[in-house]
Amino acid sequence: MADSTQLKSEALMEQMKLHMATDAGKKIVKKIGLVYQINIAPKKIGFNEKSFVVDLKKGEVKEGAYEDGKPDATFSFTDDDFVKVASGKMNPQIAFMRGAMKIKGSISAAQKFTPDIFPKPSKM
Amino acid sequence: MAMRELVTGGAACAVPGTSGSSNPLGALTDALIGSSSKNKERLREIPTATTTTSDGNFFAGTEEPFAALPGTEFEHPLQPNAQGSEFLQGFRSADQNRFADAWDEIQRPQIPHSLGRDSITNIPLEHGPPQRVLSSFLHSFVHSGHGSIPFRPTSLPVLGLSEGDKQCIRDRSSIMARHFFADKSEDFINTQVNALLSSLDIDNDVRSRGPMPGRLPELEEYWNESQGMKFGPYATDGWVTEFSQRQIEHNDPNAWVQSFERQHGANGWATEFEHEQSQLASIDQMRGANISSLAAMEHTRKLAHTLAQNNDPKFQNSKFLQFVSKMSRGEITIEDNQIKQATISAPGDWAAEYQQQYSGGQTWADQFVNEQHSHGQGWVNEFAAERELHGSVDGEWVNEFSKLHVNDWAEEFEHQVAEGVLGESAGDNWANAYDEYLNEQVALKQNSESSRGVYVFSDLNPYVGHPNPLKEGQELFRKGLLSESVLALEAEVLKNPDNSEGWRLLGIAHAENDDDQQAIAAMMRAQEVDPTNLEVLLALGVSHTNELEQAAALKYLYSWLRHHPKYGTIAPADQSDNLYYADVARLFNDAAKISPDDADVHIVLGVLYNLSREYDKAIEAFQTSLKLKPRDYSLWNKLGATQANSVQSADAILAYQQALDLKPNYVRAWANMGISYANQGMYEDSIRYYVRALSMNPKADNAWQYLRISLSCASRNDMLEACDSRNLDFLQKEFPL
Repeated sequence: MADSTQLKSEALMEQMKLHMATDAGKKIVKKIGLVYQINIAPKKIGFNEKSFVVDLKKGEVKEGAYEDGKPDATFSFTDDDFVKVASGKMNPQIAFMRGAMKIKGSISAAQKFTPDIFPKPSKM
Repeated sequence: MAMRELVTGGAACAVPGTSGSSNPLGALTDALIGSSSKNKERLREIPTATTTTSDGNFFAGTEEPFAALPGTEFEHPLQPNAQGSEFLQGFRSADQNRFADAWDEIQRPQIPHSLGRDSITNIPLEHGPPQRVLSSFLHSFVHSGHGSIPFRPTSLPVLGLSEGDKQCIRDRSSIMARHFFADKSEDFINTQVNALLSSLDIDNDVRSRGPMPGRLPELEEYWNESQGMKFGPYATDGWVTEFSQRQIEHNDPNAWVQSFERQHGANGWATEFEHEQSQLASIDQMRGANISSLAAMEHTRKLAHTLAQNNDPKFQNSKFLQFVSKMSRGEITIEDNQIKQATISAPGDWAAEYQQQYSGGQTWADQFVNEQHSHGQGWVNEFAAERELHGSVDGEWVNEFSKLHVNDWAEEFEHQVAEGVLGESAGDNWANAYDEYLNEQVALKQNSESSRGVYVFSDLNPYVGHPNPLKEGQELFRKGLLSESVLALEAEVLKNPDNSEGWRLLGIAHAENDDDQQAIAAMMRAQEVDPTNLEVLLALGVSHTNELEQAAALKYLYSWLRHHPKYGTIAPADQSDNLYYADVARLFNDAAKISPDDADVHIVLGVLYNLSREYDKAIEAFQTSLKLKPRDYSLWNKLGATQANSVQSADAILAYQQALDLKPNYVRAWANMGISYANQGMYEDSIRYYVRALSMNPKADNAWQYLRISLSCASRNDMLEACDSRNLDFLQKEFPL
């Protein structure tokens, strides 16, 4: 249910979750096959973070930290920045260079994290 | 010290690769300018150079430019210089294509109609944003440089250049003019630049009129400043001019420092500087806690601090200090102790220019290494170390100072300088880079203002002065000419800022044009004028839902209920702060029970369920309202969007199709179509729909980004450049529907 403290990124994550069940989503799972953890902070990276696991091995999106081992790469964003990267407004490389995106884990895994993974929201 | 050596050639500052005693910077400049003798040959090499006629348009009233190149102007290269030709050979061999590309780009004018002789009305407003006008104009200025043909002043439409922009253009154009026309007389240069500036309606009183001695006038100028000379006629640097204007009674440049210090304390400007940095950091939403830039900022802060400590007036007045202080000054005014919002132009350009002048910034750091006898070597080493670390910290500096989110432009410049690619293409690249920069700045300005709810008016508006712009706007809207109606409506609200209908329709037009930011800004104004207008409240709810601003959306939808004559009573008035979604939904359901045939209640319910992502309920609500209002195109779009967001993309496409049947120019629906195809992995199809949407509204930024993603997913990397340069003609030809 929506309440006032909800992150914008949550909407995107939910859409991603639904997307995983589609053909396109399954293609992505086949193509990438990695597990990402994404930590989203409302205003400042590292503070009040909410974690999401985008499991592109199983094709699942869950809230909370990854429990089945170590994710291939972990990203940290602010809410707005994640929305920008997922929608293609901000290039991930640029985001990284500017510190808007923090990465932990395998760099090659991180490089596969591109805007095209995420479905785009449609506008009413 | 070091600067002088750079200019006159001193042992300590030998530029690697050249002989120590020559003037390394002179060599660079000669190479740039001396290449003018190569210009003719190069132009001949390029097959399209003489055959296109479009370029003729760029020259106000002259014949084919290249035919007019008898080579007379190029018979006297500035100085025969072995290094120059070496440099140039490298440039030529390495860079045939780039120059050709630059030419090609010029040949393909970005505006279908020309400037110069042709009248202003030729510029199609839908597709000719002011920056395009400006860029073509600048291109033609560049060309006049190549052809050595006097650039005639033309009257351009009001481009809406801010003071900062004007200053920037003024500074840069005079510097570039000096590069191009360095083998000409001073008067010629001034005439050219004055022509440019007067066309752009930029005040050029501040430009210097006196003769500039020496081959490197700007460099000497800068050098002279650093030596603490009078600021009088050396005014190409707008900063200096401003400074001199502000400090009329002080001829002593130290006075500035002193007065600043008086105002702010000895460390004043360093603290202002820090303050400014933190201000930038907080203003700039994209940065967050930005460790690498914080590190850079920390360095610069220490740097600034260190410099402030040093009381040696020579040091205080050094180029570097002024550079650094200009950075802060560019953002703030000295008088007020207030931090003003950053202007678009000054800091980044100046910094980049600075870099350009100094061949990538190596030199001033070297300069400081040499100058640092009295001072701790600490920060210099740190700085040098960081530079090695990052390749070019200067770039980072520029990024930090200029507040450009993606300062590709300055980086590209560094790049070009480093690779020695300046020269003939420099002018074109400069103009192109300036285009990109302007585009970016306008986009940034729009984004930053809109995100704060400030409406951004278009710069070129032919409807201003129209007797009845509202009626015109409504008519255009009815005909489906969304972008045109936006302009007319803007004219209306400029005339009558209290016209709520004008603002409302403007908001709707923007939303249909797929620009929620502007839609929100316009709707907020409408709401200010008319707080109980239900349509406005609904529209605000929808736009905020689209932007994922869930709390705000809920607030507006709740307002809708409260202000509704029929249902207002069921909504308690004082709950606006503690809105819980569940309560609001319940209230709406009650309302629906009161009047089951009220389509609007169901529409709002549908939007509400979108917020909570209860998509099935949302779909049901929209379908109910569609039974009551089957010809409401916006309702079909809402249904489609809901279906798309719940990954029922095939159904969504059918709904969008219904919407488009009812309203063929519904940009948002076209874009949504693209999204639905892309989300299904059908990238080639999605490209076509995006292109169609963009052809109706080239300002739809979201669509550009999505197009780019689809292009790369469809492995059409060949078209990425067209996408980045927003070349709609090309894209439309390649991807028709």
